[in-house]
Amino acid sequence: MELLTFEQVEKATERLLETGAKVGADSWQQRVKNQTPHCKFGEQGLCCKFCAMGPCRITPKAPKGICGCDAAGIVARNYLNFTASGSATHSDHGREICHTLYQTKEGGNYQVKDPEKLIRIAHEWGVETEGKDIYDLAHEMAELALLEYGKPFGVQRWLKRAPEHTQEIWKKVDIEPRAIDREVSCSLHMTHMGCSSKAEALLKQSLRAGLADGWGGSMCGTEFSDVMFGTPKPVDTTANLGVMEKDMVNIIVHGHDPSLSEMIVFYAQDPELIALAKAEGAKGINVCGVCCTANEVAMRHGIPMAGNFLQQENVVLTGAAEAVVVDVQCIFPALGPLSKCFHTKFITTSPIAQMPDSEFIRFNPENAGENAYNIVKMAVENFKNRKPELVHIPDLKTKATVGYSVEAIKKCLDRVTNSHVDETYTFKPLVECIRSGVLRGAVAIVGCNNPKVRTDEGHIRLMKKFLENDIIVAVTGCAAQAAAKYGLMDKEAKKFCGAGLRRVCTLVDIPPILHMGSCVDISRMMILAAEVSKDSGWNISEIPLLGCAPEWMSQKAVSIGNYVVATGIDTYLGVDPYTAGSKECEEIMQGENGLFKQWVEAKYTVEHDIDKLADVMIEAIEAKRTAIGI
Amino acid sequence: MKTLIQRVFDGNDEMYAQAVAAVAEAEAKLGADAPVKMDTAYYLPCLYAMNGIKVTTIGEAKAALEGPIKDYMTRNLRTQDVFTSGVATALSGEIIEAMKYTMADGQPYEYPVMGHFTDAQIRELGVPLVTNDIPGVAVIIGEAPTAEQAANLAKEYQSQGIFVCLLGKCIDQCVEQGMKLGFNLRCVGIGYDLSAVAHAVSVTLRTAIIFGNQQPGDYEGMWTYTMARMFAFVNAFAPVPDLTVACGAGAIQLGFPVISNDLEGLANCRIPKSLVLQGNVDEFNATSLEARGIKIKITKMDIPVAFSTAFEGEIVRRGDMQIEFDGSRKTGLELVRTKELSEIEDHKFTLIGPDIDAFEPGSKVDYAIVVDVAGKSMSTDFESVFERKFHSFINCIEGVMHTGQRDLVRIRINKDAFNAGFRLKDLAEVVYVKIMSEYDAVVDKCQVTIVTDPEEAARIRKEVAIPLYDKRDERLNSLTDENVDQFYTCIMCQSFSPSHVCIVTPERLGLCGAVSWLDAKATNELDPTGPCQIVPKEHIIDENIGRWEEVNEAVNKYSHGALESVTLYSIMEDPMTSCGCFECICGIEPFSNGVVIVNREHTGLTPLGMTFSEMASMTGGGVQTPGFMGHGKHFIASKKFMKAEGGIARIVWMPKDLKDSVAERLNQTAKELYGIDDFASMIGDETVTEGDPEALVAFLSEVGHPALEMEPMM
Repeated sequence: MELLTFEQVEKATERLLETGAKVGADSWQQRVKNQTPHCKFGEQGLCCKFCAMGPCRITPKAPKGICGCDAAGIVARNYLNFTASGSATHSDHGREICHTLYQTKEGGNYQVKDPEKLIRIAHEWGVETEGKDIYDLAHEMAELALLEYGKPFGVQRWLKRAPEHTQEIWKKVDIEPRAIDREVSCSLHMTHMGCSSKAEALLKQSLRAGLADGWGGSMCGTEFSDVMFGTPKPVDTTANLGVMEKDMVNIIVHGHDPSLSEMIVFYAQDPELIALAKAEGAKGINVCGVCCTANEVAMRHGIPMAGNFLQQENVVLTGAAEAVVVDVQCIFPALGPLSKCFHTKFITTSPIAQMPDSEFIRFNPENAGENAYNIVKMAVENFKNRKPELVHIPDLKTKATVGYSVEAIKKCLDRVTNSHVDETYTFKPLVECIRSGVLRGAVAIVGCNNPKVRTDEGHIRLMKKFLENDIIVAVTGCAAQAAAKYGLMDKEAKKFCGAGLRRVCTLVDIPPILHMGSCVDISRMMILAAEVSKDSGWNISEIPLLGCAPEWMSQKAVSIGNYVVATGIDTYLGVDPYTAGSKECEEIMQGENGLFKQWVEAKYTVEHDIDKLADVMIEAIEAKRTAIGI
Repeated sequence: MKTLIQRVFDGNDEMYAQAVAAVAEAEAKLGADAPVKMDTAYYLPCLYAMNGIKVTTIGEAKAALEGPIKDYMTRNLRTQDVFTSGVATALSGEIIEAMKYTMADGQPYEYPVMGHFTDAQIRELGVPLVTNDIPGVAVIIGEAPTAEQAANLAKEYQSQGIFVCLLGKCIDQCVEQGMKLGFNLRCVGIGYDLSAVAHAVSVTLRTAIIFGNQQPGDYEGMWTYTMARMFAFVNAFAPVPDLTVACGAGAIQLGFPVISNDLEGLANCRIPKSLVLQGNVDEFNATSLEARGIKIKITKMDIPVAFSTAFEGEIVRRGDMQIEFDGSRKTGLELVRTKELSEIEDHKFTLIGPDIDAFEPGSKVDYAIVVDVAGKSMSTDFESVFERKFHSFINCIEGVMHTGQRDLVRIRINKDAFNAGFRLKDLAEVVYVKIMSEYDAVVDKCQVTIVTDPEEAARIRKEVAIPLYDKRDERLNSLTDENVDQFYTCIMCQSFSPSHVCIVTPERLGLCGAVSWLDAKATNELDPTGPCQIVPKEHIIDENIGRWEEVNEAVNKYSHGALESVTLYSIMEDPMTSCGCFECICGIEPFSNGVVIVNREHTGLTPLGMTFSEMASMTGGGVQTPGFMGHGKHFIASKKFMKAEGGIARIVWMPKDLKDSVAERLNQTAKELYGIDDFASMIGDETVTEGDPEALVAFLSEVGHPALEMEPMM
């Protein structure tokens, strides 16, 4: 097998944009041009709009805002506000999942598919399970989880999953997240006019708000999604635009919350609707995913992944999408007007994400089945409205094996244990590979696409460089899709690895890049780091493990970055987090002896040059190895 | 504490320095042009395999050290460098060993050390490796905590059929515990110095070339082959020095895990499934088998001695003999009969006459074993197939040797086995269990009768056995390629030789000599989706040369496209391929217009100026090499033997032993085909000439050999 090239993918996009031009469609490529150059004050984080006295902008001649806040205070406030939004977003996604869990019932729209995992979490939380009906337990657990959002006292229950050393740090530095909503509210309170202007305090709260996401709301989202929809295990699928089928009804699911996409996937297999599709002249119904929804349904059902964030307009431009069904987050408002240029139905389903030019069908656990049925039917009936002259599906399609939850990875690692000497169901085999040097380390590559970086190039170039250097890569979100789109999740891609990683892939039977899920599932990566720490005896910050978001763009990504750093993992960014306006903030966040490093033993590094970024990261991994004498 | 990677690099440097010194010493003594003396057609086989370079002299060995071997010794902190440095360590070891052979004129070792494996030995291992009778190869390095543990470990492997290579002090430990070592016992000492590890590596890499058709110099092809197909592994006793760690890296590159009890020294070096630490040496066996994914076929055999393929080659000498059944002087026969289900009481054993404890030690006695089988799918055609397997069944009993077949059987039971309590019911049990386990698809019931009573044995021979043998011969003689409707494929070897396909016909058995048309038929019925598939012969393209559409389709399909067509009766045009485990090879002898045939056992030169090993290296691995063809012994006397080129009249030279063994049938065929009497005497052998084609031609002219008058083959 060979990997796709950027040129191949870009050529396909150009061809689609020709169709767009023909029908008078707008495009993000054009809008980027319209928006360039960007506002320098905004880029540097030096614009303050928190009160109506401004906006204030910091320049050498005007070093303070009207209230007297300096550059560091403004940059840090903006940063915390950005974080709070991201933390709220992930956590609210998690809250929806908890509410759905509360609605589960035997034979209902939503059920408990992994009761074992529910019981395991219940035991973790000290909830009695003996003799309890699984649905009673699910409702009890849902309620407890929902209380995590507003509990008056105490800290997040999930923190106990972290190694003791990490828990001590959080306690000592006073960043243990309390109620999730409280950390978000508190952050917004701190950034309100006339509250905090001390960078140190604001940035410390950004770590705490991040932890409320990663070790709170996101973890609820991931764990209870697994309980309801099944814990992912390795499954084969396909990726890139070529997964759309010319002769079938194509339904695109886009967004983040699996509660919607699971239902659509279920009804797309309904024999009545398939018969209807055939009666309409199609060969069947093809559901494809975009963005994190794609990750969710690919991990659990092997549903093909049509593309990531910056490919969302392309699926409509194929002229072959009967419906684009969305829930929340990362959905371009542009999809509404774009769909009007084609026969495509653009269907919004959540009160959280309502957009012009869409059909709004409100989804909730009670009507989910009925609504999903109707949406699939609407798509099927729309097949006949296709304009054949506009249909063009690029011939880009790769194979991928996905579904590497923490549980699945441990199961895979069992393949290389020896029953005469080893324990099973641990990360010890991975630790041994790292300790002996067969693998040099691990990198988690996550995050979005961003037009500031050539699409997917940041992800792919880094991945290839790491694989060559025997560094195993775990991915989520749009980074995961990038890997899949280009072929790096094909098990055959082990041939692009160094000899050590290649051997590991062969013996463990995994692709060199492990798909761990959607962006909410970065919580899985935290659990992985925690378990590796426990199985190795190394603190998390000592493990040759790094985080990286080369093409990030959303507020969620900043929240993620904060909890990854706060967990003790050095994190590398390819795009500036609007902090360049304050040397003080940069020193706190990125300094070798900055406060982040002092507090949580990890820090940020920002590097726009992808090749340099790769080199810096490989050096950092080697330095971590030297430090622990391996 | 040193890291694993540093230990590999240091160990590699150490072995390399030793190799440089060994070459310098040899060069000083013999000169750079002196030839390297190791008995193989593959130069320095490890180096040739991994790098493609052909070393024949001491000077070339020196150049190899300074060039390609040094090039493998890169020092980046990556697994790739660890792997190539591990390989460089084995290659340096091979140079050291080669220098030992060269300095000692080819004989540096004496018992208990065997050292290097010859090509013929490796070819002999082919069939048992393929059939999983040798399920793996264990390389045991160093000194076990106690001599008893060393011997127990080796014996445990041996009893599972695993081929054991001992290196270092464990050799003496095993000998001290009374173990006998030798190739036939599948437990050999390969040397005391770590450089000897190259001899074990050499076995695996020559296997890749001979059976796997991996191209010498294809580094990646070599290790992917050995990793996928050679079930070797290393057991290294504590303390493990850097030198062994470096060799281990080479083993791991080839896919062979290392299991060690050096918990302290290797604490930082654990690699899942590749470098496994097991503190308890008594658990090495189970840990190793799991690490390499070896599954042992367990046939539960309730007898007082061991039963394993490891004992198949064991010889019982006259002095050790408790009793002998000898078909050449007394009655000594074996017979399988098909009966009705209702006539058989399953697992019944009947002894007619006294058991072996009634005879004086060293006696020669009468013996007849009659095995009655019944089953709904049983066919009388399978009787002889089962009977031929008795040889291997009985030979696998520890302390028992079996030769011959039908009424020319000879069995010797040694004193150790007898003293352990081995009696005739145990012999019967082995035959019963093996038939019921291997042929369970066609045999539902089986009973065994052994006769030692001279009169009854003689009666059975005369009244039952001989008439049945005659009947079978008649049937066998009536089986010709023309009067059957179908041939069979045999792809049993594909676990080692992935693109080779045999086509088995009544007049042409598989080239390994182990699969006749009836065997293939039985295999097909036992396992319809197995290695022997039916090839209908409906569309003939050329009868003389033996070309059928269906045969071409079959070889194409089962070689996965590697072969397009084969002929069954020509060695010049699309000859049948071979896996590498062939009994004999024939090759064109241009001066006489004929062919030379040489068998695996013959070590001398042929008139081609080549040995068996050298001729064998011309083909194998599923490749077509016109003018050279591997085949079974039995095929030599076939009317279809190179029929397209004129048949057996082309045979101009064979080793004497081989000639004698086929003479009777060969003479009969020659009489029938050409009206020539005593054709065998017209064929040259090593008493005529060993390496001189002109002497051969002179002999052939003198006896009026027909090949001289035939049309040129090329």
